[in-house]
Amino acid sequence: MKKDKQVILTALLILAFAVVPFIVDSEKSYLVYSLFLFFCYIIISQAWNLVAGYTGQISLGQHAFFGLGAYTTALIWLNNITKTGYYFDPVTILLSGLVPATIAAIVGIPLLSRLRGDYFALGTLGMGEIIKVIFVKGGSITGASDGLHLPSSVYSSIRPYYWTGLFLAVFATLLIYLIVRSRTGLALKAIREDETSAAAHGIHVLKYKVLAFSIGAFLAGLCGSLYGIYLFHINPDSVLKLDWTLYPILMCVIGGTGTITGPLLGSFFISTVFSVADIYFVQMHPVMAGILIILVMKFMPKGLIGLTQRKEL
Amino acid sequence: MLEIQGLNVFYGDIQAVWDVSLHVDEGSIVALVGANGAGKSTLLRAISGITSAKEGEILFSGKSLKKLPPQDIVKMGISHVPEGRRLFSNLTVYENLKLGAYIPRSRRSVTQSIERAYDLFPVLKNRMNQKAGALSGGEQQMLAIARAMMSRPMILMLDEPSLGLSPMLVKTMFELIMNLNRQKVTILLVEQNIHQALKIADQAYVLENGKIAMTGKGKELLSDPEVQKAYIGTRWSKS
Repeated sequence: MKKDKQVILTALLILAFAVVPFIVDSEKSYLVYSLFLFFCYIIISQAWNLVAGYTGQISLGQHAFFGLGAYTTALIWLNNITKTGYYFDPVTILLSGLVPATIAAIVGIPLLSRLRGDYFALGTLGMGEIIKVIFVKGGSITGASDGLHLPSSVYSSIRPYYWTGLFLAVFATLLIYLIVRSRTGLALKAIREDETSAAAHGIHVLKYKVLAFSIGAFLAGLCGSLYGIYLFHINPDSVLKLDWTLYPILMCVIGGTGTITGPLLGSFFISTVFSVADIYFVQMHPVMAGILIILVMKFMPKGLIGLTQRKEL
Repeated sequence: MLEIQGLNVFYGDIQAVWDVSLHVDEGSIVALVGANGAGKSTLLRAISGITSAKEGEILFSGKSLKKLPPQDIVKMGISHVPEGRRLFSNLTVYENLKLGAYIPRSRRSVTQSIERAYDLFPVLKNRMNQKAGALSGGEQQMLAIARAMMSRPMILMLDEPSLGLSPMLVKTMFELIMNLNRQKVTILLVEQNIHQALKIADQAYVLENGKIAMTGKGKELLSDPEVQKAYIGTRWSKS
């Protein structure tokens, strides 16, 4: 009974989000844009949550996968590779997830088998910078530091962005939920807790780590694709900036890492703070965000999700 | 059943085990005893594949384990309860048990295995939804053993099962080990509680500085004056 209720409540909540563009004027309201960003944040937060929160591998290279997703979309579109329409084309968006996922698997095997803990984190940071340099030096193929321009004349409304974002956020959350409840999820959590012990129980540690890393890259790539379609101008400074790694970490930590609802709360909290600060404290918002982060960490070390849990003895 | 021939084990440049040969008969209890740093735990880690730098030969039912990774060794029927228990402390008791039966062979019988674990340790059933890290030391040790039994191993390797337990619990622990042995589980036991270990062991090996210094039946070693002098001493260390 309790579970049914939860399902119904979640469905109603999603429905409520889905109808927002019909209630407010989506083209003029700042709310629709903020919620679109909120959905993007959910996708990348859940991606990081799987890799770091559940598998315990602190990846600092998520921005590379985000950027790869955006660039994949732009390159497919501009070079007319799939011939499938491109503006909100599901094939292009899916490929923009699969390309980073494949690259994550390829670089993940050496990184994850050789490096552990902090060294893995630094390794992924290095990988992100290498990928950034490749795009900056990519000449006419990647448009170098100016990047690539998509035909922005196709833009007519923010609504398709909003709904695609909502869909992908629900998809990402559901995907992570199903993974962590499965046997695979149990293996990932065991690796987070104690790698050696996990291996001694028959878990192929590297295989599962690479799987999680790759799924994380897949989701980051999907988000990068959507964001790229929104920007119409894909360049290293916009889609390959470190923010796309730091924001999800911030949101997961604020909300509660290694839980499903934590990243949702964190994304909501951070995107609200960013939006409000953007309106009322122009140019001050990083300061305000910083203060709030310190306060949350000081008083709620388990993140916002800690508020809902009973104190453990 | 388990046959070790001329095994050398290294940690980087340091050699921890020197030319060790031993064998474990099916259905027996074999104890490895010795002081701190004698190489007992290293030996178990080498058998279960956690430590990979080794020379010599480790045979299990005639098959070589030397080059296998730990996840393949557990599949062959060797279960290792490492020193310090190595529980998944943020996961529940139930999840820990389930992970014990991760290998394909034991997966099918996971429900029965969990029932059996709860029969063996009723306290775990009461605490199935608590985090493993929230259990007391004794309960954690029980969970570690129950988890290792989940894979339905042919041989169970226990590293210091009595460490950190109260004298009462130590007794219970050794009774439990004998109980498991009666259920046809072969036991390879590493202990610093030499007195108790030798009492239950069919065969025992004394390790000193990574080498086997003595071997014999458990009870024989127990009454050996050398062993008494070096390891058991006078009354205060008798448990």
